[in-house]
Amino acid sequence: MEHIAFLPIGPEIVALAGAVIVLMSAVALNLGRREWGVIAGVTLLASAILSVLQWLRLDSLEVGRQLAFSSSVSGNPDLYFHPMVVMDKFSAFAGVLVYLVAFLALVGSWKLVATFGKHGAEYVALVLLAAAGMHMMAISSNLILLFMGLETASIALYIIAGFARGERNSDESALKYFLLGSFASAIFLYGIALVYAGTGSVSIYGSGTAASGTGSIRQFFATEPVAVMDVGVLLAGIGLIIVGLGFKVSAAPFHQWAPDVYQGAASGSVALMSAGVKVASITAMVRVLMAAFPTRIDDWAPILAVISVLSIVIGTIGAIGQRDLKRLLAYSGVAHAGFMLTAFVAGPVAIPNILFYLTTYVIQLVGAFTIVAVVSGVRSGASRISDYKGMFARSPRLAMTLAIFLLGMAGIPFFSGFIGKVAVFGSAIGAGYTWLVIIALIAAVAGLFFYLRVIVVMFFEPAADAPGTATAEPQLTGGAAFVVYLTAGLTLLFGVVPWLLLNLLQYTV
Amino acid sequence: MDSFPVLALMVLVPTAAAIVVALIPKSRSELVFPMALTLSFLPLALVGYVVWEFETGAPGYQFTQQVLWYEPWGVSWNVGVDGISLLLLALTAVLFPLSIAASKSIDKNQKMYMVAMLLLETGMLGVFVALDLILFFVFFEITLVPMYLLIGIWGSGNRIYAAVKFFIYTALGSALMLTGIIWMGVLTGTFDFTQILDASLTANQQAWLFLGFGVAFAVKVPIFPFHTWLPDAHTEAPTAGSVLLAGVLLKLGTYGFIRFNLTLFPDAAVRFAPWLAGLAVVGIIYGAAVAIVQPDVKRLVAYSSVSHLGFIILGIFAMTSQGLTGGVIQMVNHGLSTGALFLLIGMIYERRHTRQISDYGGVAKVMPIFAGLFLLSVFASAGLPGLNGFIGEFKILLGSYLRFPVAAVLGASGVILAAIYLLWAYERVFTGPVNGEDNKKLLDLDTREVLIMAPLVVLILFLGLYPKPALDRIEPAVAEVLDRIEAVTDYEVPQFGFQDDLAGGGE
Repeated sequence: MEHIAFLPIGPEIVALAGAVIVLMSAVALNLGRREWGVIAGVTLLASAILSVLQWLRLDSLEVGRQLAFSSSVSGNPDLYFHPMVVMDKFSAFAGVLVYLVAFLALVGSWKLVATFGKHGAEYVALVLLAAAGMHMMAISSNLILLFMGLETASIALYIIAGFARGERNSDESALKYFLLGSFASAIFLYGIALVYAGTGSVSIYGSGTAASGTGSIRQFFATEPVAVMDVGVLLAGIGLIIVGLGFKVSAAPFHQWAPDVYQGAASGSVALMSAGVKVASITAMVRVLMAAFPTRIDDWAPILAVISVLSIVIGTIGAIGQRDLKRLLAYSGVAHAGFMLTAFVAGPVAIPNILFYLTTYVIQLVGAFTIVAVVSGVRSGASRISDYKGMFARSPRLAMTLAIFLLGMAGIPFFSGFIGKVAVFGSAIGAGYTWLVIIALIAAVAGLFFYLRVIVVMFFEPAADAPGTATAEPQLTGGAAFVVYLTAGLTLLFGVVPWLLLNLLQYTV
Repeated sequence: MDSFPVLALMVLVPTAAAIVVALIPKSRSELVFPMALTLSFLPLALVGYVVWEFETGAPGYQFTQQVLWYEPWGVSWNVGVDGISLLLLALTAVLFPLSIAASKSIDKNQKMYMVAMLLLETGMLGVFVALDLILFFVFFEITLVPMYLLIGIWGSGNRIYAAVKFFIYTALGSALMLTGIIWMGVLTGTFDFTQILDASLTANQQAWLFLGFGVAFAVKVPIFPFHTWLPDAHTEAPTAGSVLLAGVLLKLGTYGFIRFNLTLFPDAAVRFAPWLAGLAVVGIIYGAAVAIVQPDVKRLVAYSSVSHLGFIILGIFAMTSQGLTGGVIQMVNHGLSTGALFLLIGMIYERRHTRQISDYGGVAKVMPIFAGLFLLSVFASAGLPGLNGFIGEFKILLGSYLRFPVAAVLGASGVILAAIYLLWAYERVFTGPVNGEDNKKLLDLDTREVLIMAPLVVLILFLGLYPKPALDRIEPAVAEVLDRIEAVTDYEVPQFGFQDDLAGGGE
């Protein structure tokens, strides 16, 4: 290559540079919160715009170079940096999603930064670092780089979870997240090692064209006869990678950290922690399973089906008994991870449907957690459902928008969640996993209960006398109002005219 | 046919009305009831227009409108009316203003109640016109949440338990149906009902799809043994909730059986028909037997619904012209007579706040108008000739005798049992000496209450004496369903010699 192409890693470069500038500006230039906010906001939006530019640039390439998930090895994606990253529409879309989620999460709970005083700059920088790491997971064409992205994002989030120093909940949350998370990272790394032992490569696509590429994982599966493959080691490797990523997705039975971490962390930081990580880990899982191991789908699809059922059932049952809205959303997130995993069994054709579900779900999630931060206070850990009693009378806008997010997650028609469910379940049924869909839909019905319970509390029950930790008359103002109205609007928009997004996503396969 | 989208308007007007009612400020809350009542006449007017303009005997669907919604999935806004849905639309549109009028005494959050009622009407009207499976499912589900709220918030005593039970049963059924709908979409590449008709499904696929849809509808109907939610929901629901549950919501199930199970999966329908007929007979006798011993008059009527809906299912799965026609007309009849009974029970409950039969006695002496109307409804429900119930039950028994003689004979005992439990209950409540001071002070029906009952009485008499207009509209639609079954399977519809002479019924 004659010149270095910066576009494929442009969003990361910008985000990392923004993080450094924010840190430096706080130390050397003595800039205030307003300036950090402008720098961080501009940085994240610029990264998102660069991702859009990637998408537009790919439009000018011939179709063959966009097909990073074709099951034949003749797919010839755009690879860069000997080949560490891949630029395809999938990674470009993941970039738009990650940076916008980070942007909205930061804007929605900007008040949180104020509570950290002069340490606020560190918090803002960590958010930018986490976003860069998350996107790196989606663009990696090499398992080692994927691991580095995962660690960059995770370590930043461990610190964010514990950033409300002095609050005992926050310390507990960070320590739990760190111990369990690093354990999962180690498992993931071990999985990479076993895959390397089995295939002789850690590169997904190899260098240059995949067909003539040297020693990539895809190359290995395409050329080696089945008998030669050291199947045991390889399958163990794939299994461990699924476990490691399953932890990050918070799929059962690797989900126990999620409720505690969400509940303990400052409410203002949970939107990024939940939505951003979901985007990064689901896209990474798609990349690894469908680009590196598509020919072993018969081996990993049943594993994913089982994980999916466990997540859906455990997440739903777990959510029913919760009295804390953050814990409820954490458990429902476990179930939603399961819903998304149902479509994986269909292989690469399901990618648009998975991405649609992912997009609509994280939009609802960011909106819901922004409201939690408004009602319970950005720094607070607890967020009791009883605090929401009579919310409709006290603050009708908050009650209405939270109801929109909850109905969206519940999969009620006219909200984006319904279309998402039809999409992923359609993929699963098409792949012959009807039993999986039946279980998932029954759980979705059971899920209506806990979502409806919150809505009933908000609309029909009189306000409690002692509002506890919550603000008595929470008001939706400033950045939070912008985020909540935008996400609520998108939830309705994609529920009524889903093709705006679905048609776009058809190009990501 | 002009292109005026009357069905879309009809379905959306109640939603618009709900928004209008929701926007009434708290300071003018006295407007909520008159506003909701007035607006509920708009869909009735539109349904009246559809009934008036409906071309009797024309093949296929009328007033059709199709707007593509998302092409790759083949989902569209696709609506139309045939003779079967026409009558159910009319029933729905008539029952809603009456139910709202009967809800004047609701004082707890009245605005929310009216909004829920009007949204419920959108769902119910939508179900009967939808010709797209996803659209049908959406409307089918829309009915669930308002009904859940009506029972759970404005119900009596054990309302939360009843609401949750109702919700779990019906939602689990819908989950299986949605699986079936998505599967069918994957198999055929479209959700358009009229296009799916042309797709050929294997016998095995049909059997599974039949069961998936069947469970959802069987819970709604309800067919024995899926009926246990019904007595609780009917008993605890507010009066309007019971009327609409019995009058319309249960018909969603029987309508679904005809529209989807018989039409889309004819092979499976022929295969499973004896089983469903058998369950129907069990339901007829079991429901009637349990109704006899109920001490609570509302619960008694609830169990009578299990029995009556058993008749309808028997008629449908006899798969004869007479049986199906009888089943459809009986859906309307049951809605009218049971709706009338629930309204009357609601009226006396407002006065005495008890539904126990033993608390009453000799009521006919203090409330003669009430007693007269109650007796008429009881006779209609028991199928007395000259009233609407007779023609439906007669046709069902005739039609099912052609196919399942034993089931018809056993089912006929349900007619006798119905007379026993209804008349015995009437005897205990209305005849004899007036017992207790409370009963002596009972006031007879006022003008509003008589006006609520009047349309139902008129329709009960009209359909009983002159059912021909209704039958003329049902029969071509039924014939189309049966023709299709005969065309694609080797099933032959049993014929009956002098069928035409009987079509006029009690004329």
